[in-house]
This record gives sequence, structure tokens and C-alpha cells, in this order.
Amino acid sequence: MKPTEDKPPKLFVKFFRWFCNTDFQEEIEGDLFESYKNYSERFGKKKAKWLFIKEVLFLFRPAIIGNINQLMNINSTIMSSKNGRLIAIMATMMGLLIIPLIAMQFSKEVNWSIFDFVVMGALLLSTGLLCELVLRKVKTTRNRIIICGAVVFIFLLVWAELAVGIFGTAFAGT
Amino acid sequence: MSQYHLGEFEEIVLLTVAILDGKAYGISIIEEIEVRIERNVSLGALQTVLKRLEEKGLLRSEFGEATKVRGGKRKRFYEITSKGRQILRDTKEQRVSLWNAIPKTVLKFS
Repeated sequence: MKPTEDKPPKLFVKFFRWFCNTDFQEEIEGDLFESYKNYSERFGKKKAKWLFIKEVLFLFRPAIIGNINQLMNINSTIMSSKNGRLIAIMATMMGLLIIPLIAMQFSKEVNWSIFDFVVMGALLLSTGLLCELVLRKVKTTRNRIIICGAVVFIFLLVWAELAVGIFGTAFAGT
Repeated sequence: MSQYHLGEFEEIVLLTVAILDGKAYGISIIEEIEVRIERNVSLGALQTVLKRLEEKGLLRSEFGEATKVRGGKRKRFYEITSKGRQILRDTKEQRVSLWNAIPKTVLKFS
């Protein structure tokens, strides 16, 4: 049987390439690969993969990420600006959903079931799609901010109700 | 005296780059910090500080060689500038003057 190649998780390598400023992508990607190799030798493949994911997530910060045009790929002829924005919103929602998944690997205080992920995913997806709909249909910046703000506020209320039950409805969490 | 004041982590990174003397790049700086002061540093935190120090003119950098272990990507080697050296000296003088100002009885072991 052919041994599996020891490579860092492809999805997170792609995520890093997407957000990292192109001016310093080369050296940081090289550092990431080198640290993965070191982790793999010290702790084994499985832990090295998690540590690699942690390093990539810790790199997602203003000083490292590219400008908004680069992230949205606005100048690309392949993708229209609307589709770029929709993809960026979806990617952000997915990114938010990954946070508890990662946290579960390092802390026992975060303990989400598959049902929790499905519910949160549906909530985030509907919030993202609603915001995109508002941005497409509403023309003035003021109204966009008000309506998107209301959508996000409702999302936070529903989340809080499901998590700790602030209104005491039948769906309230404990 | 320089106007720019170094943060604690900025000072550690600048000192480590000086220690490594031309061989300082992301991973070597992290390893040196881990060995010397037993502090775990993420690549994200280090790269943020390196970019900031370079922007302030305290460090300069140039590309080095690419290796297979790095997926064919080149290293970026950092070096301390004369402005960086000056600010390190100023910071050291400040620390020494503060230490010297502490009354002897305060630090006396009981």
C-alpha cells in the first residue's frame, strides 16, 4: 500500500492563499509549511494538522490579510462583483462556523453537537442571504445599513434565545 | 532619545533578530524565542510585529533561498537597521535607569 503523503490540510492552505496579502504570501506560506514539517516530526501527523489550522486562523488578522479588492476578486473578469460579494459573505459565514469546531479541539468548555452546527449553519446562512438580498434590492447606503443592522440584530436575538432562552419560548435553550 | 517606544513583544522580536545576526526569518525567530524565554509564539503574532517593525524602519528584509521543506517558497531574512539598534540602546538605558532608581531595601530578599 502506498503511504499517505504528509501534507498540510489543502482547504486551509487555499484559505490562507485567499486572504493573505500577496506582498508577503510567499515567505509566510514557506514558514507555514516549515512549521508543519516541524510539528509533524515532533507531535505526529494528526496533531500537526490541527496546529497548522490553528496557525492559519491566527494569521487571519488585519496586518496579514490583503485589501478588500483582492479578497473579493473584484477585478477578475470571471466573477462579477455581486457574485464575489455573495461568495465573500458565504465564506465569512463558514469561517464563523469553523471557530467552535476548532475551539472544541482545544477546550472542553465548547461542546457542540451536530444539531448545534446544523442550526447555527442555517441561521448564519439565512442571515448572510438576507443581507445579500438587501444589498441587491436596496439602493441607498443609509437604508442598507438600517435594514442589514436589523437583520443582524434579529439573528443575535434568535441566537441568544436558542442558547440561553431570554424570552422563554418553546425553543429556548438552557 | 527616540520618540517611538517599543512594546514588550516588539522588543523581544527586535532583540531576537539581533541575536540571530543575519539568520533571522519566521521559524528561526520563533524557535529562538521558545528556547531563550520559553514563550510560545504564533506565526500570526510574529509576522504582524515583523511587518510593523519593518514599516517603522527598525528592520529591513530580503529574500533568501527556497527549500523543498518550505514547499519551494523563499525565506525572508530580517536584519536590524541603525534606527533599530539605536532604539534598542535607548530602551536598555531606560530599563537600567529604572532599575538603578529602585531603593535597595525594596528588592532585598527576606
